[in-house]
Amino acid sequence: MKSSDDILSDDHFKLLAFLITSARGCVDEPPLYGPLRLADAAARLIEIMGKEGKVVPEILELQKLIEDKKDLVMYDEEGFIEFLDELSRKLAEIIKKS
Amino acid sequence: MELLNIIKSRRSVRRFKDEKIPKERLMKILEAGIWAPSGSNIQPWEFILVTGNDTIEKIKLISPGLFGIPSALIVLCINKKRAEKGGRAGESTALMDVSMAAQNMMLMAYSLGIGSCPIVSFNKTALKELLDVPEYVEPVLIISLGYPEFWPKPPKRRSLKEVVHVEKFG
Repeated sequence: MKSSDDILSDDHFKLLAFLITSARGCVDEPPLYGPLRLADAAARLIEIMGKEGKVVPEILELQKLIEDKKDLVMYDEEGFIEFLDELSRKLAEIIKKS
Repeated sequence: MELLNIIKSRRSVRRFKDEKIPKERLMKILEAGIWAPSGSNIQPWEFILVTGNDTIEKIKLISPGLFGIPSALIVLCINKKRAEKGGRAGESTALMDVSMAAQNMMLMAYSLGIGSCPIVSFNKTALKELLDVPEYVEPVLIISLGYPEFWPKPPKRRSLKEVVHVEKFG
């Protein structure tokens, strides 16, 4: 069992906190913030996978794509949706060739 | 710097350098806040300055909209007991007052070379618990502060022609 001090720096706990507070936030926030939080959570998960040696370069590319384009939600709705499509396509490519 | 240039150049900054902001600069930013207009001069605001790295990290955990690692945070709150003095309009007026204080702070920060970002995506319940905020005080906005890694490009604005109506609507 981890101490409460340890838990604050634990990457899984950080993701857990993000997911719970995002769930509450999505009740009141603009509808597209739901997809934003999910994409952000995906990037955070890839970060954890990286530390655990579970990523391939293609997955890191997904993370970079999210970091580069997630802000589109704030000024280009169509661009943000296209980014989610692009992300989905790249994910499918990884799945297809595995 | 000309005021309009400051207003037009301020950006929401979400990536910060690992560099502390001197206390006197933070106090200047806060001072700019208390000189915002306030309906009936009620001044319904309370500001919580957070500079401790441990506390900032904890607030990040419960704030999905807080990006980067800022050097400081200002939590802008409404003191509901004071806001009540504004009658039925007290709550909405208090929100306007705090918003104007926030803008003052962000412009002051920018004029000092400090980046800022207004954040409403945080968990109020958790933040009140973390910072021992009393029941009658409601956090409504967080401003993150820090020296920017870069100044983001300006987003598109609706034009004056589109949004300004002269003498009558339309």
